[in-house]
Amino acid sequence: MATETVFECRNLHYAYQGKFPALCGVDMTIAAGERVALVGANGSGKSTLLNLLDALIFADQGSLAFRGTRLTEAAFRDDAFSMDFRKRVGLVFQNPDVQLFCPTVREDIAFGPLQLGSDQQTVKARIGQLAETLGISHLLDRSPHQLSVGEKRKVSLATILAIDPDVLLLDEPTAGLDPRTTTHLIDMLDAFAHAGKTVVTATHDLHTIGDIADKVYVFGQDRRIAACGSPEDILADVALLKANNLIHVHHHHARDHRKFHWGDGRDDSP
Amino acid sequence: MRHRRGFIECSLGGTLAFFRQALYDDETASMSGLLQGLDPRVKAASLLAFLLLALFTRSLPLLGFLYLLCLALAALSRIPLGSFLFRTWVFIPLFSLFIAVPALFSVVSPGRAVVSVGGLSITEQGLKAVAFFLGRVVTSVSLTVLLSMTTRHFELLKALRAFGVPQVFVMVLGISYRYIYLFVGIVEDTYRAIKSRVGSAMHYRKGQRIVTWNMAYLWKRSYQLNEQVYNAMLSRGFRGEPVSLDHFRIRLRDWLWLGGCAATILLLAYAELTIRK
Repeated sequence: MATETVFECRNLHYAYQGKFPALCGVDMTIAAGERVALVGANGSGKSTLLNLLDALIFADQGSLAFRGTRLTEAAFRDDAFSMDFRKRVGLVFQNPDVQLFCPTVREDIAFGPLQLGSDQQTVKARIGQLAETLGISHLLDRSPHQLSVGEKRKVSLATILAIDPDVLLLDEPTAGLDPRTTTHLIDMLDAFAHAGKTVVTATHDLHTIGDIADKVYVFGQDRRIAACGSPEDILADVALLKANNLIHVHHHHARDHRKFHWGDGRDDSP
Repeated sequence: MRHRRGFIECSLGGTLAFFRQALYDDETASMSGLLQGLDPRVKAASLLAFLLLALFTRSLPLLGFLYLLCLALAALSRIPLGSFLFRTWVFIPLFSLFIAVPALFSVVSPGRAVVSVGGLSITEQGLKAVAFFLGRVVTSVSLTVLLSMTTRHFELLKALRAFGVPQVFVMVLGISYRYIYLFVGIVEDTYRAIKSRVGSAMHYRKGQRIVTWNMAYLWKRSYQLNEQVYNAMLSRGFRGEPVSLDHFRIRLRDWLWLGGCAATILLLAYAELTIRK
């Protein structure tokens, strides 16, 4: 059985204010149920691509289609399509303070499903269920400014999971998290993917891509796709990672020997 | 040597203290007490009714009764009395007292002299006028503080819906409330970063320049955040007509409270009419 294509990007270009290029010809295909990681150095266009995939901005050139329908401003003037798209695609922003704009965690989680037409009772039940799964029940009546970074990330994820989208887009979900919270988050994403959902994660944390993705797109400094492959193949290609500023090698003199560090945290002593 | 706090430090300290106080209010609002257990809409409406009664009464004993009622409600809502009295007597009532002082004297309020000092006399009418003015101010402030200390701020905002305030307006207020804390945090961090580099000694001109620059930076940051937050709202299906979670529920105790308030107000109004006759 052929796998359905969720997103199809062809020669995608985008420039901020028309003069600061962020994407310069991206081609990409994301299939339903796939776990995709977008890796690249800062400023390589990962976040811009996620904003395009979530139809918050629209391409200057090229085409982007969601399940065969081109994502254009005109398409989103149709309320039915807009509602359907928002129900199916959810974006977890890099900065949780952007995502959490309501006075309390409970209201933030309820915001999405309520705007998308769910009734109050269903939303309340969903909040209780999600809060229990994510271990945030004690935070529901707190204000987002009272939460730690890890708690904010969990709540941000809950605000999108409350919509129950088919496609989850995540922008640097593990940034600033301690190892334990990172592991917990990876487990949650894993469970989401096992439920048959599509997960697209933008990250420069190479430690996690083996756990969160089956397919990796590497963004180059020229803001195009430099390579695509399995996490194992990409991580094994040291030259590729070095060329795209994802790892670097430096050394210093330890007590009695020279020590080399890789930018992704590995270290070798020759 | 004691370091003298500058204008910037004092202003920032004052702003941060205000927000810490707001957080403390949320703590008292989370306690289990009489007023905390009521539906915010019912509470706001009943305290507003008492406030109107305090404003329109012409009986001093009745005003005194309303103030005692405020103290009783504060005690039943587990609000520390010291903190309650501090918040209700400092600033507004004291400031009002200074304004009202001239009314004590015969020059402003002619009547029967109670005490005469030199050529000035404090009159009975003057004392009564000041007592009324101060009584109304302190009772009104007490009722307002009771409402704010026993209701979480976001619930207070949501209760506005019951008084016909549009949902969009309530939502904008809620978002503003949320982001004020974020910006206060940024200001505090920026100030610490400046202090860690330049210490406490700074020429006032340099201080002014830094403050101006930071105001511009904060404005730019809030403008960027505004756009990002709007995108986050769009991403979750917002289409200009916000729908919010309705978690207020009027229970038996709210009906009992409303009944009690209505009976008290009617009784007080009857007493007022009897006194006037």
